[in-house]
Amino acid sequence: MRSTSLAFGVRQSLRGLRQNALMSLASALTVALSLLVAGLFGLIIINLGHLATLAERQVEVTVFLNDSLPDQGVRAVEAQLKAMPGVTQVDFVSKDEALNRLKAVFANDKDLLAEVEQQNPLYRSFEVHTDQPEHIQPTAEAAGKLNGVVKVNYKQDLIDRLFRVTRAIRVAGLVIMVVLALAMVMIISNTIRITVFARRHEIGIMKLVGATDGFIRWPFVCEGMVLGLAGAAFAAVALWAGYSWAWGAVQRGLPFIPLLPGQPLLTGLTVLIGGSGVVVGAVGSALSLRRFLRV
Amino acid sequence: MQKGLRGLIQLVEVWKAYPNEVIALREINLKIDRGDFVFVVGPSGAGKSTLIRLLYREDVATRGQVLVHGKNVARLRHSSIPLLRRTIGVIFQDFKLLPDRSAHDNVAFALEVTEAPRREIKRRVPAVLELVGLKDRARAFPHELSGGEQQRVAIARAIVNGPSILVADEPTGNLDPDTSWGIMNLLQTLNRNGATIIMATHAKTIVNAMKKRVVAMDHGRIIRDQAQGVYAHEVN
Repeated sequence: MRSTSLAFGVRQSLRGLRQNALMSLASALTVALSLLVAGLFGLIIINLGHLATLAERQVEVTVFLNDSLPDQGVRAVEAQLKAMPGVTQVDFVSKDEALNRLKAVFANDKDLLAEVEQQNPLYRSFEVHTDQPEHIQPTAEAAGKLNGVVKVNYKQDLIDRLFRVTRAIRVAGLVIMVVLALAMVMIISNTIRITVFARRHEIGIMKLVGATDGFIRWPFVCEGMVLGLAGAAFAAVALWAGYSWAWGAVQRGLPFIPLLPGQPLLTGLTVLIGGSGVVVGAVGSALSLRRFLRV
Repeated sequence: MQKGLRGLIQLVEVWKAYPNEVIALREINLKIDRGDFVFVVGPSGAGKSTLIRLLYREDVATRGQVLVHGKNVARLRHSSIPLLRRTIGVIFQDFKLLPDRSAHDNVAFALEVTEAPRREIKRRVPAVLELVGLKDRARAFPHELSGGEQQRVAIARAIVNGPSILVADEPTGNLDPDTSWGIMNLLQTLNRNGATIIMATHAKTIVNAMKKRVVAMDHGRIIRDQAQGVYAHEVN
């Protein structure tokens, strides 16, 4: 396409947006809202996935040791744990370390901490990591039978549940995103249809004098893409501000929830939202033109 | 035939039926050579407009062949239809000008949308406006122009990209007799300069005075095709 034709298309689409300003604004805002909801879902899904992965990577089997077990016995348990199939790492947690961790979680509950600190009731433990989740349960069972072991914990149930929830939300999010995408296409298509209708004489003359379909289509597609992009810009700004704020709030108030930092997450999301806006706009306007271009 | 077996335009056994089962054209055979000036006459509903619409492929024949430049227009690929239309200028009774553009811009529009270079547009639009006698009215908008002037703008738009064929559907239908003659003189000039002209009309005086080829239609059929003809045979 020649540059003059490109300019012609841009001029035409601006003219369309101006003539149809209120409707254009309304549909850009609708696109913005839809993309905002889609983006929110995206952020939630990505963070839940992140949490689930973290949780899985964390302590898989915790083996608590009897306080009366001598150091020699502790080393024996460690050796036996390390020898088990699938075990990749065994970390020792002392009574002091366990207490420190508790302090970090209950930093505000001074009374409880004071009481606990007087006589540390926490067990020494080993944190056992396995290469695959399937090894967790056999490892836990075997560890329970070792000499000097009081109790074995493993959080497979919790992790499974977390993954199930993540999967459900991901499916729901995907369904909602598809519905939203269809809605956006329809809204843009409808807005462009109004422009097309207002310019039907012009389109008729274009066809009469031998303009190609591509040439006729381009200003309208351009207009649709501008609408989509404008909506995407709104949505991106809102998501950017909202997530930065939420992230800060969580950091301050709920520091044990490891939300993903804003970067590079938001940049990626912005690119994705912008792309979706453009695609949705182009598809929407192409749809509204199909009927008019048929000879 | 000295000009070759095929004319510039040729219709062979053409029928056209609309979905509502109205048969608009029946076994039309017609050949138009380069440089011809043809009047298509007949009562309303005789099929004149349909015949003209087949030429620039606004409509497609139900049966038979419509050949333009030796090509069957029904067989054209969708992407080739614009190219056919660039070789045919079309003029209507209601001018079909864009109200929000000046005379100049209406004419330039035809070049802009067929992606002509800006230089060409600058050169050709004033030249064509001068040819149709509207050099001084280039900046005027359609509502500021008389009917005859509007039709001249439409003609300028139809010829600006240099088509070899000019089809006109009742071009003088909305104009008074004097203005009509102005338009006819313009068409005749274009014809002398080489354009092939096919004009559907009710204007009996014009047809009778100009002594051009006349194709008379009735009920979708060609009932008479006469060189240097008249509007109607008087039945004595």
